Parts: sequence; structure tokens; C-alpha cells
Amino acid sequence: MKAERDELGFDAPAPLGHPVRASLPADAPTGPAVGDRLPDFSVPDAFGRIVNFHEDRGVSKAALVFYRSAVW
Amino acid sequence: MRDAFDKFEAAGIKLYALSYDDQETLAEFAEKQGVQYTLLSDTDSRVIKQYGLLNEQLSKKDAFLYGIPYPGVYVCDENGTVVSKFFHDSYKKRESPEMLIDAALGRITIDETAPRAESSDDGIRITAALHGGNGSLRQGIVRQLVTTFELPEGLHIYGEPVPQGLTATEIKIEGPAGLVTLPMEAPSTAPLRLKTLDIDLNVWRGTVRFATPLYPVGALVSECRPIDEREVELSVHVTFQACTDETCLLPQTRIMTLRVELEEVDVPNLPIHTGHGQREGNYDSTPAMKRLVWRKVRKNPLRLLQFIWNRKRMERRSKR
Repeated sequence: MKAERDELGFDAPAPLGHPVRASLPADAPTGPAVGDRLPDFSVPDAFGRIVNFHEDRGVSKAALVFYRSAVW
Repeated sequence: MRDAFDKFEAAGIKLYALSYDDQETLAEFAEKQGVQYTLLSDTDSRVIKQYGLLNEQLSKKDAFLYGIPYPGVYVCDENGTVVSKFFHDSYKKRESPEMLIDAALGRITIDETAPRAESSDDGIRITAALHGGNGSLRQGIVRQLVTTFELPEGLHIYGEPVPQGLTATEIKIEGPAGLVTLPMEAPSTAPLRLKTLDIDLNVWRGTVRFATPLYPVGALVSECRPIDEREVELSVHVTFQACTDETCLLPQTRIMTLRVELEEVDVPNLPIHTGHGQREGNYDSTPAMKRLVWRKVRKNPLRLLQFIWNRKRMERRSKR
């Protein structure tokens, strides 16, 4: 398989221009602003336990990562 | 992230990672990769949409891909208020965990164990070390080259702007092709007013740390071919002028050489990644991929045909 290099210099196995390879648009939304409170939510974790974000965090600082997938 | 979990714990920062993967996939991923932080499963991308992060470059036609976010990280304080956030122009580039911790705590630090270059002269010690990942470079991970000045009592160095005749502190990093450096971060300066000369200056005193974020791209480290060299040499050019309130030393430039390790990239074991020579690890994600495709096409079987067609087209194109 031949790898291609995008304009940012990254290589990846999928062809350029394919959605999985596209660079993000310059005006891509970035959600809540610095100074905002993170919107609360409840979703299951890997073990099926429902996690309410702010409740689970308690009085801790937290880092919340949004990523594409653990699969690919 | 996985390897830095202890550092997050020590800093009192809880770590959450959210994706559209199902619980089974996440449980498997956590087990195989030894993940200790909380993996959240947002299968219908509800939270991703709530945060306004749904990737709109993809449409429902892209079948199993639809529902992913524009990737990024929020760091919040004890009250849940965002103190910093990191979103990039590429999904392949992200901050090192150590940078996230420092952002949460508002500091610039270095690892005690990271390899460092040092220069001591005129009683001024300068060290340079890579912060994050134990001082190594890895494709797409932004790490910081931290330059530390240790100034003896009474001496200071200058930040911009400086009047004519004085030299401001400047740090330049040279490295091999494929090394990308971002603008330097510096702590804030203290004002210094020289009454006799009637000028205002901006100075740093004591121990001062400057951080230059950098990361390697394909020319240096690629997930699509084996690493050519295990190590690279970075050249750190530090220009500054040290003064007391009365007299100045001559401006000087010190060049320090730092050898840093290049790290392989972990890729899941999936046909599209295999055979590129990078670390495929012990995580075979083919079953998870099948579940993901099934989950996405179940609602609309036409999507399966579309998916197969897209994949064939992609394979043809990537073999050219």
C-alpha cells in the first residue's frame, strides 16, 4: 500500500481526500469556550456504568478528550 | 495518555475520553491497552452533538464513519469551568498529556529523567530538555522543548521590546526535516524602570522556563513506514544578554545539542494499517470494526453497499 502525505506533512494509509484523511476545516467548531462550564451529560463507560460527568468528577479538575475511535 | 495516567492522578486531574465506540469495544481496548482512565461510550453521538463537535465533513453516506467529533481536549477546574482547550487542524496532532496537566495547573515543567543538554558560563546555567514522553518524539504528539535559565542573584535577562543596544532573549530550534516548531511560550516579564536613564524594561530573573512546542511529521516519523533512525539531533540556539541594574555582560548566543529518541507509533491491528512497519501491538480491532459497521448499517442496509463500494474504491486508490 502506498502512503500519501497531506499538506501538513502527515502520512496515513488511506488516500488523500478521503474523509478519514481530510484535514479539519479552519472554521471547525470547537465547542464550549474557555470560561464556560462544560455542559453536563450522562453516558455509559466501558463497563456499562452510567457516568454523569460532573457528578463523577466531584470536586476534581478534569481533562475531557473527544477522539475519533478506538477501533480505527 | 495511557502511560501518563499516574501523572494525571498525582496532579489530581480526572481523565475522561469519549468516542462513538460501543461499550464492548471500549472494554476490549481498555483491557488490551491497559487503559485506567474512564472511557465513555457515546454510540449515538449525542454528547458530541451537544458539544457542537460533530464532524460535518462526513455525511451519513460515509456509513460507519459518521458520528465522529472534531477531536480535541478540554481541561476544566474544580468547578467544571474550562481553563484551556486544545483543538487542532489535524486529527493526527495532539498535545502530550504532560502539556494538558501543566495547562490545568498553569505551569511549565520538565521531567527529571528526560535527557538534557546543558551550558554553564558566567555563572548562568542553561538547560534544554524535551518535556513529555520521557523526552522522546512521536508522530503527531506535540511536546515542548523547555529551556531553563538559572540566573544568579542580581542578574536579569530581557523580553521584547528592548531599547536599542540591548538584546532580547531568543530561542531557536533547528532539527531535521519533518520537525515542526510552534511559537514559544514564555512566563510573563517583570517591569524594571531605570530612573537614571529614564527607560522601562521587561525582565526575567531567577529560574525562568521557556517552552517551544514541537512535533514530528511524516518526513521524520510516519505511521506508514518503519523509523529510519532511532535518534535525532536538535540544536537549540539561545541568544540573550544578562545585566545587573548597573552593568551588562555582552550579548551571547549559546548553542546546545540535544539528542532525542524517536518513538514508534502504535496502530491497531486492522488491514488498512498492517504492513507499514509500525508497532501494530496486541490490539486486533477487526471484530470491533465489524460491530461498528453493523451498528451503523443496521438502520439502513443500503449503507452496507455504499460502505463496501467506498472501501473498494479506497483500496484501489491506495494501491496505485
